[in-house]
Amino acid sequence: MKIALCSSFVPFVDGGGRFIVEWLARKLLENGHEVERIYLPFVEDPRVMFAQMAAYRLIDLTESCDRLIAFRPPSYMLRHPCKILWFIHHFRGYYDLWNTEYCPVPDSVTGRAIRDTVFAADTATLCEARHIFTNSRTVSDRLRQFNGIDSEVLYPPLQYPERFRSDGYGDEIVCVSRIEHHKRQHLLIEALSHTQTPVKLRLCGIGTSGSYASELEALTHRLGLQERVILEHRWITEEEKAERLARALAVAYAPLDEDSYGYPSLEGSHAWKAILTTTDSGGVTELVVDSVNGYVCAPHPQALGEAMDRLFRDRSRTSAMGRAAYERVLDLGITWDNVVRKLLT
Amino acid sequence: MKVLVLNNMVPFLRGGAEALAEQLVRSLNATQGVQAELVRIPFKWEPAERLIEEILICRSMRLYGTDVMIGLKFPAYLVPHNCKRLWLLHQHRQAYDLWDAGQSNIPNTPRGQEIRNALIEADNRCFRDCEKIFATRLVANRLRHYNSIDSEIMMAPLNDPELFVGGDYGSYVFCGGRINAGQRQHLLIEAMKFTRSSIKLVVAGPADTPADAACLLDLVERYDLGNRVHLDLGCVPRERIAKYVNEALACAYVPVEEDFVGYVTMEAFSAAKAVLTVSDSGGPLDVVRDGDTGLVVQPDPESLAAAIDRLASNHHTTIEMGKEGRMRWIGMNVTWPLTIERLLA
Repeated sequence: MKIALCSSFVPFVDGGGRFIVEWLARKLLENGHEVERIYLPFVEDPRVMFAQMAAYRLIDLTESCDRLIAFRPPSYMLRHPCKILWFIHHFRGYYDLWNTEYCPVPDSVTGRAIRDTVFAADTATLCEARHIFTNSRTVSDRLRQFNGIDSEVLYPPLQYPERFRSDGYGDEIVCVSRIEHHKRQHLLIEALSHTQTPVKLRLCGIGTSGSYASELEALTHRLGLQERVILEHRWITEEEKAERLARALAVAYAPLDEDSYGYPSLEGSHAWKAILTTTDSGGVTELVVDSVNGYVCAPHPQALGEAMDRLFRDRSRTSAMGRAAYERVLDLGITWDNVVRKLLT
Repeated sequence: MKVLVLNNMVPFLRGGAEALAEQLVRSLNATQGVQAELVRIPFKWEPAERLIEEILICRSMRLYGTDVMIGLKFPAYLVPHNCKRLWLLHQHRQAYDLWDAGQSNIPNTPRGQEIRNALIEADNRCFRDCEKIFATRLVANRLRHYNSIDSEIMMAPLNDPELFVGGDYGSYVFCGGRINAGQRQHLLIEAMKFTRSSIKLVVAGPADTPADAACLLDLVERYDLGNRVHLDLGCVPRERIAKYVNEALACAYVPVEEDFVGYVTMEAFSAAKAVLTVSDSGGPLDVVRDGDTGLVVQPDPESLAAAIDRLASNHHTTIEMGKEGRMRWIGMNVTWPLTIERLLA
């Protein structure tokens, strides 16, 4: 089958949005299909946004491929009789982030007119799709709430899940993620100060600015946790990541209201590790069931600290939850075989 | 410096322009202080009425956060940018020389005239706003003739010169490249029935359409040339192409009015093989000199047959011409670092 994978991109800003397309392309090729990736530039500036949407709309791929799979907005505005969506987010400034600092227009007559037009254009072109998959329940809920459109959750797998393994259960709770304020590594450090056991915390990753990492370092010193917090503020290779997760006691991932389950929690699951997260972490709580494959705590240092102690003390339970984490991934169908089958049905 | 390269795309089709665009981006990224990405805009030129929409699509796109744009082909070079350079691989020939030759898909009707004028007007506006325009000799001549625009001559370097190192001089003439009516591989097959020597012909490359492939297969069968003509049709790996070239007696390249010297020619010279071409092949005539670096004959099967026999019977001269071609090519100093330097100057 000839399959076109279409998405938008911002030149020189390489977001996670491209990985899902690249990985899927590889799997489809492995399955014997012909694949063309089409990334079109898009500038989310309200002054020129609609002209670009019109350009997307005018592009004619109807005869070029048997099936078109669209990802990032506004790639679903492309026309095709067999259009499938793997919808990963809205133009969020006009949707769930309306009237926040992330919203590009004011809540004025003009701003609301722009927003209404985005809604209308989205809804009309989304409705053309033969089937809409999303990357999380959160995103599916938003499609229902804002556009009145039903969709099916299709969780994106890791590129190479087989890279991860377990070498047993050490003393470190590991968090491999970008070091950013909304990922709340500070909350994990604060939690550690409430623990009774000698459990350790390893934070790995880079951030867009170094200032948050400096704050984390200062916080560690202030709480006197230098011996128990290991901060690796740098790019971690996939091999290093697998190595650290293999020896971990558990993984922690407690971002604020994330759209998706988050790759850190999925990577932990493939390394047979329980996941520590919080009730307000959004998509992560779709994956983690409290006391089954990890702990879902209130987003407070005290509660997280108690959970860390439990992970450390009750090791047989922690390792059982780690195995359950792996099984949960399979139960949810987070495999490429499942993804390919669903997208081509 | 952030450099964006703009090319058009026909989904699932790859040719010399695609390879050149990718190599250009790689070479830009290998240049200190330069970060480059490729943007490919889908292009559909049938029916002619589409051309208006294609122009509109490209003019409606926006690029932010980019210091320099390098446009390669119509209509992708129409995307607005205030620091635009063109390395013009093609204009839309159907509105220019092919129109004059009566080979355009744009109908010669009042509406066709309007479409053609709109296209030329869009081109002229774009060319006027460019900082610099580079082109091959043939394209530069057309630009002068049709658009009254001056440009600098620039040839495309070979993308993978390390593969074309030469080797033994075998008992076949090789013809590589895309397969379609305009590349006239059929002339070479027809020539084979007139040859007196026992030399063989190898044709390898992807056919544009199944009909193009069928045409060659039919000819081989009709003239009963199965044991003297080897067809290797499809996406032949570069390594296999290089082996065909490196072990050939000589190479043949017989397109109609090609804009460009042609990779086939450059690969042959790089591997020290003489090139057989025809008097109306266009670009190749820039470097192939009759009796010096190859043979240039009339574009008919009998003349080509005589030339193939000459190559086969004067083995020593054929090898010498190949070596001369290699010297000539090296002397032209067409390399990627120099190309990048000129594009960004």
